[in-house]
Amino acid sequence: MSKVQSTLIKAFVSTLRRDLLIAYKKKNDLFNPFMFFLIVATLFPIGISPEPEKLSEISAGVLWISALLAALLAMDNLFRADYEDGSLEQLMLSPHPLYFLVLAKNIAHWLVSGLPVVLVSPLIAYMLSLPEGAYVTLFLTLLLGTPVLSLLGSIGVALTVGLGSRGLVLAVITLPMSVPVLIAGTLAVTQTQNGAELSGFLAIMGAMLVAALTLAPLASAAALRISVN
Amino acid sequence: MDWTWFHKWGSPKWFYELSGKWLPWLVGSMVLCLTVGIVWALLFVPQDYQQGLTNRIFYVHVPVASISLAFFPLMAIAGTVFLVWRMKLADVVVKVAAPLGAWFTALALASGSIWGVDTWGTWWIWDGRLTSLLLQFFLLLGVVSLRTALEDSEGAARACALLSIVGCINVVVIKYSVDWWNTLHQPSTDFSIAADQANGPEIWVPLVFMILAVYLFFAISLILSTRNEILQREKRSQWVMELVKRS
Amino acid sequence: MQFSSFQEFIQMGGYAFNVWSVYGMFAVFLAVNLLGPLRRNKQIIRELKRRYELNAPAQSGASSANSSAESVGDSQ
Repeated sequence: MSKVQSTLIKAFVSTLRRDLLIAYKKKNDLFNPFMFFLIVATLFPIGISPEPEKLSEISAGVLWISALLAALLAMDNLFRADYEDGSLEQLMLSPHPLYFLVLAKNIAHWLVSGLPVVLVSPLIAYMLSLPEGAYVTLFLTLLLGTPVLSLLGSIGVALTVGLGSRGLVLAVITLPMSVPVLIAGTLAVTQTQNGAELSGFLAIMGAMLVAALTLAPLASAAALRISVN
Repeated sequence: MDWTWFHKWGSPKWFYELSGKWLPWLVGSMVLCLTVGIVWALLFVPQDYQQGLTNRIFYVHVPVASISLAFFPLMAIAGTVFLVWRMKLADVVVKVAAPLGAWFTALALASGSIWGVDTWGTWWIWDGRLTSLLLQFFLLLGVVSLRTALEDSEGAARACALLSIVGCINVVVIKYSVDWWNTLHQPSTDFSIAADQANGPEIWVPLVFMILAVYLFFAISLILSTRNEILQREKRSQWVMELVKRS
Repeated sequence: MQFSSFQEFIQMGGYAFNVWSVYGMFAVFLAVNLLGPLRRNKQIIRELKRRYELNAPAQSGASSANSSAESVGDSQ
């Protein structure tokens, strides 16, 4: 029993390490979502208004939508390269449950594409004149929410991995599913401004994260079994 | 327990023949319900003291909106049946239900917003129900576009079945989160005229007729599209050849 | 009866546009989703008929037995 567990952990860790290593070698993939996040967030003041009062009203929503779009863009290289060079099939042939391997890939992917976005968000929030006192809320909700976006997105990616041009299909599948996260994230910011307790919102987002962590890799694994054949 | 009835449903031929027998009855009762419902709703229902004669819209909107909520559960059940028992008929249902659901949802949205013009003074409002219905519309289009993108029929069938199940869970989460979002952002507009109006039989009896008519219509349309899909998929089989030759 | 004249019925108490546009859309919706599949059914049958007729002369004796074996394989 313990031997099975230890090999499983080994497989999990080595998948994680491998993906992080690949991402480190290909620095483009590392920076693309991050740059995209910065650029999209910059477009809003230009498109709407540079006035701090107006910006502070929309800044939380802008950050969340930019993070959502960046996550969507980053999704493309979650399984794509592995699918093309055949290592995804190798992964699926391994004796370990695909659930854990997909989870490892998801975690690696979030560390590379989601975490930088979360880390840089206070800076962008400052540029968008986010109300003071909302920084902690925004940072914590992004920290809990962006993994959910990645996990949900991976279902869509797994379903469309064999497609040549899937940009729009992926967006149409993934974006409506991300709405609950978007709602929880932006409501947390606006409501804590009005004096609501932060802990309630964190509990909701934490629940979403736990649900996504347990269910989404299952769906992604099933989807991969369907599309890689 | 005898499961033959269940496995019979897996036979496209059996379904095609049986549904051919049902169709005239279904169409007949739909026409009857629709005629009674529409004539009653348009001509005889008393004016609403607040909304005047716009309450006629209610008789189209409510049945259509109520059935458009059933599409994701229907597709999720059919998708599960397909994934578990590999029943080809279930996949046909998943396939034809998605675009039909998009139609129903679009009509529910359009009639809801036209009804809202007087209640809210504007065509569109980010009301909880309208918003979650709009998101459901996008999700249905997602299922349709996934099917078109994955041309390979077996892979596409299983992918769409899975997406229907995921989508069904998601529709529920979206519904609750949108309601939550809506109640926190604005004083909730009371859209539950259904409850106010269901006070006399002259109001709700025509509604029952319309609901029956729309449900029957849903069944008929689903069956018709399913039959078409069956014919195309089974075009190499003997019974379709014979059927075509007889016609 | 809520209306005393046909004119009044059409006007719908000032809500003619709202009420009739919804009922109009409903009618279009019913027509598209009923007549569409029915027309498609005729079209499919016509297409299949042509297809079978095109294939029929080519198949004789042994090849027709072959094609029926293929059809069994296809339906699986």
